[in-house]
Amino acid sequence: MSMVIIIISIFNIEFYAVVPSIPCSRLALIGKIIHPQQVIHSFVHAIMGMLVTWCATVMTKGRFQFLAVSCTPSEGLEDAVPQMCLNEYHLFFLLSGAFLGYSYSLFYLINNMNYLPFPIIQQYKYLRFRRSLPLLIKHSCVESLHFVRNFCVTYYFFGYIPKVWICTTMDLHTDGKLHPLDTLSGLLDLSLFYHTWLSGVFLLMTWYIAWLLFKIYATESHHFPIQPTFAQETDQCLPKILNSNPPLLIKFLALQDLMLLSQYSPVRRQEVFSLSQPGGHPHNWTAISRECLSLLSDLTQRLIAQQEAAAAANGRAKPPVGELKVPPQTPGAAGIEDMSFQSQSSPALNYKMGVVDIKSPWHGPVQSPHVMRRGPKLWTSVSDQQMNGSHHESFPVLSAARTGTEAVQPRFIYTWLQNKQEQIKTFLSKRALIMYFFSKHPEASIQAVFSDAQMHIWALEGLSHLVAASFTEDQFGVVQTTLPAILNTLLTLQEVVDRHFKLPHVSSKPPRISGSLVDTSYKTLRFALRASLKTALYRITTVFGEHLNAVQVSTEHKKRLQQFLEYKE
Amino acid sequence: MFPHLSGLTLPCAPSRAGCTVRAFAWHPHTNKFAVALLDDSIRVYNSNSATVPSLKHRLQRNVAAMAWKPLCASILAVACQSCVLVWHLDPTSLSTRPSSGCAQVLSCPGHSPVTSLAWAPSGERLLSASPVDTAMLVWDVSTETCVQLQWFGGGGVTYLAWSPDGSKVLAATPSAVFRVWEAQMWTCERWPTIRGRCQTGCWSPDGSRLLFTVLGESVIYSLSFSEYRGEMQGQVGGSKTASIVADLSETTFETLYGEERIGGEVHSMVWDPTGERLAVIIRGHPESPNSQPAVAVFRTRNSPVFELLPCGFVRGERGARPQLISFHPCFPQGALLTVCWSSGKISHIPFFFVGALEPHASPRRSPVPVPAWHPRASPPSGAPHTCTGAGCAAPAPIKGGFSLPLLSSP
Repeated sequence: MSMVIIIISIFNIEFYAVVPSIPCSRLALIGKIIHPQQVIHSFVHAIMGMLVTWCATVMTKGRFQFLAVSCTPSEGLEDAVPQMCLNEYHLFFLLSGAFLGYSYSLFYLINNMNYLPFPIIQQYKYLRFRRSLPLLIKHSCVESLHFVRNFCVTYYFFGYIPKVWICTTMDLHTDGKLHPLDTLSGLLDLSLFYHTWLSGVFLLMTWYIAWLLFKIYATESHHFPIQPTFAQETDQCLPKILNSNPPLLIKFLALQDLMLLSQYSPVRRQEVFSLSQPGGHPHNWTAISRECLSLLSDLTQRLIAQQEAAAAANGRAKPPVGELKVPPQTPGAAGIEDMSFQSQSSPALNYKMGVVDIKSPWHGPVQSPHVMRRGPKLWTSVSDQQMNGSHHESFPVLSAARTGTEAVQPRFIYTWLQNKQEQIKTFLSKRALIMYFFSKHPEASIQAVFSDAQMHIWALEGLSHLVAASFTEDQFGVVQTTLPAILNTLLTLQEVVDRHFKLPHVSSKPPRISGSLVDTSYKTLRFALRASLKTALYRITTVFGEHLNAVQVSTEHKKRLQQFLEYKE
Repeated sequence: MFPHLSGLTLPCAPSRAGCTVRAFAWHPHTNKFAVALLDDSIRVYNSNSATVPSLKHRLQRNVAAMAWKPLCASILAVACQSCVLVWHLDPTSLSTRPSSGCAQVLSCPGHSPVTSLAWAPSGERLLSASPVDTAMLVWDVSTETCVQLQWFGGGGVTYLAWSPDGSKVLAATPSAVFRVWEAQMWTCERWPTIRGRCQTGCWSPDGSRLLFTVLGESVIYSLSFSEYRGEMQGQVGGSKTASIVADLSETTFETLYGEERIGGEVHSMVWDPTGERLAVIIRGHPESPNSQPAVAVFRTRNSPVFELLPCGFVRGERGARPQLISFHPCFPQGALLTVCWSSGKISHIPFFFVGALEPHASPRRSPVPVPAWHPRASPPSGAPHTCTGAGCAAPAPIKGGFSLPLLSSP
């Protein structure tokens, strides 16, 4: 039994993840199930299940204990030698254990039970455990019922296979006197059902408790020192850990610690605001703020990329027939298109780099599909000419024609390949079965973008609390020099998040299932991110008040800050 | 079914005569307040705009408490019969009837009726409590998840107050016990009172002192807590015993209008955010003909020693009883006390003074004149009239006084 628990715990540790992996399409889900790692997981769990039920049968004694028992002697049989018969109850138990183990593993996978949710409030471990225990027991009982019922149905249809196999391998006879279990009358045995259910409850409860304890211990908040007191501790201090690339769990714990220290610990805040000796550099603050800001700008870029992909998909959603009908142009025209393509791509690249130029055409919501085309253009549209009108005049037509002839040939093959690809895609998209597997579930893909948003939420809270506290606690003014960068990053992120929420499906909340053991908080992380972003901005503006007008930010951001100061956002 | 609740009277239960305003809440940062009326609608009045949005929802019944979210433009949490409604209002919208889609429903089985709410001062968590449920819920509003803080025995929670520095929460129960929770690791200290339940309480601005009153006694107790340094995890840090700082038993005053008997039990108590003024609703004796409930105002100071001095009384019109009192969270020129009377009037009484401590942050706008709402020409029935402070009551001069042992904090 203890070996079983140890192996289960090892599996928990091997498979945990702080960021849930969300399958975006049905094919991805199937891929996840048949992944070799998952197959091993299920197989081992099935064997564990069998072992546990074997232990249960040993403990129960009675009729379940042995696989082979002597057969009941028939009335008229003169044969004195008792034959060994298969004890079908024992076999039923072992198989139910295997089935339960496999179902547990499947359930684990589908519900992302390897995801470690961090608690919304800090509590001592014992209190957390005690709080979850009643729900766990209730859940085990209900689930065991469901699994046993499913198993009975499976055994009814397929129970003869293992029976026959064991009988032939172990040279046992089936007892003719007793009812075979894979019939309705055999399965309606209440005592058997009760025993199976009880062993299922026992199995599930032990496994769930192991899982719960692992979760509680792994997500416990860990205290990272800011200033290392001993030389060997330098690798463990918070700024170092944030700047290196630690395993994801360590990074999560470090960010959680940052969030806690910024709210509750004036002593550690002082360490963050302190200067180094003898140089007088604010290493700690620089490291922490740089890491938080890079996390947030990384999220900003990811969201922008997602929005562009969504807008491009909208563009391509128009009937692709129009594209296929357009023939390749003459070289001269193609040359000019080449120029327009190049000049068009630069604002796009700029945008990708995160530099949001207000005058760029990408700033506002872009709807025209023509503008979104990344590939070489086969025609110029009116909007493009307006955009590139200024560029056209500056380029001498002569050089354009020369480069145009050289660039024409490879581009021709490229466009032909593109057309063929589009043709195949259109053909396949008409086959419903393919689309069934490949279609991206919108809600799942949105959740996938925000799957690691917990890091960003903590970075926001930690940063804003530190900035707010620095109003009174920062003796050397280390925070003031970074205020423009912080405000710029936060306001840009807020703009991008607001725009992201205007996309379809993003602002709709998934249905909430209360009272379930499985944590689904990763599905609503984007709402928590939006709320904590707004709160972070208000925290800074409330504390600094009118002093923020002296900070150097762009005019657009100044206007938004004014809205925040007047509580109009 | 719940014998310990038989003596409980919830504030503004509809059966109480003359109760037109169920709940009142000032916005923590702007000149905006929300009023919950008897017909379960909520009106939001803003000094910067003439539109008065009216909030209605089919689940919004028996509103018992409201609270605006701190560090936010306009998110209002409402404690209703079966759930907590969180309204997300648009601060710049001119609509008078926000749709029910703006309201988020937070419900948990067994947690009804919800009668008290408290937002964390950092704006991230919402506490909700019910006198019937022995678990307090800590909500993360954006993900709609909650954590139950369970205890055994003593009934639910009748009064919740979060200290302004965010470190502690007072939770009063219907039995003779109240709990003080610390908000970092969520452990609590149990405080048994000698007789009766804790009726009301309020925190000093730095969270180091709790003033509370007990049902059936006409005194104000004070409980001090060690300063929160952040290093003592899991300890509330309360002192061993509470001390009496004010005795409000009935006394006779000679005024211009004759003899006045003022004194009795305390109905509710609020402390202004600068820690300079304390307002108390004193219930008169129902048998005595001359005694009427009154609002008493005290001048207080928390550091270096705690001081409580009587300042005056606020009396409304003839026959009007004070029901709800609240201080404006950010009045730059002193303190602004808002009183909701049983006649349906809401009055704002300013106290102009220069605080002993400098304000924490500079004011965000130029000094605000006392908000003047004009009474509506033809109000719908049940709507409160509002009037400016000057016209309502003049603090009566104090002759004689309460017996106030001036105790310094230990």
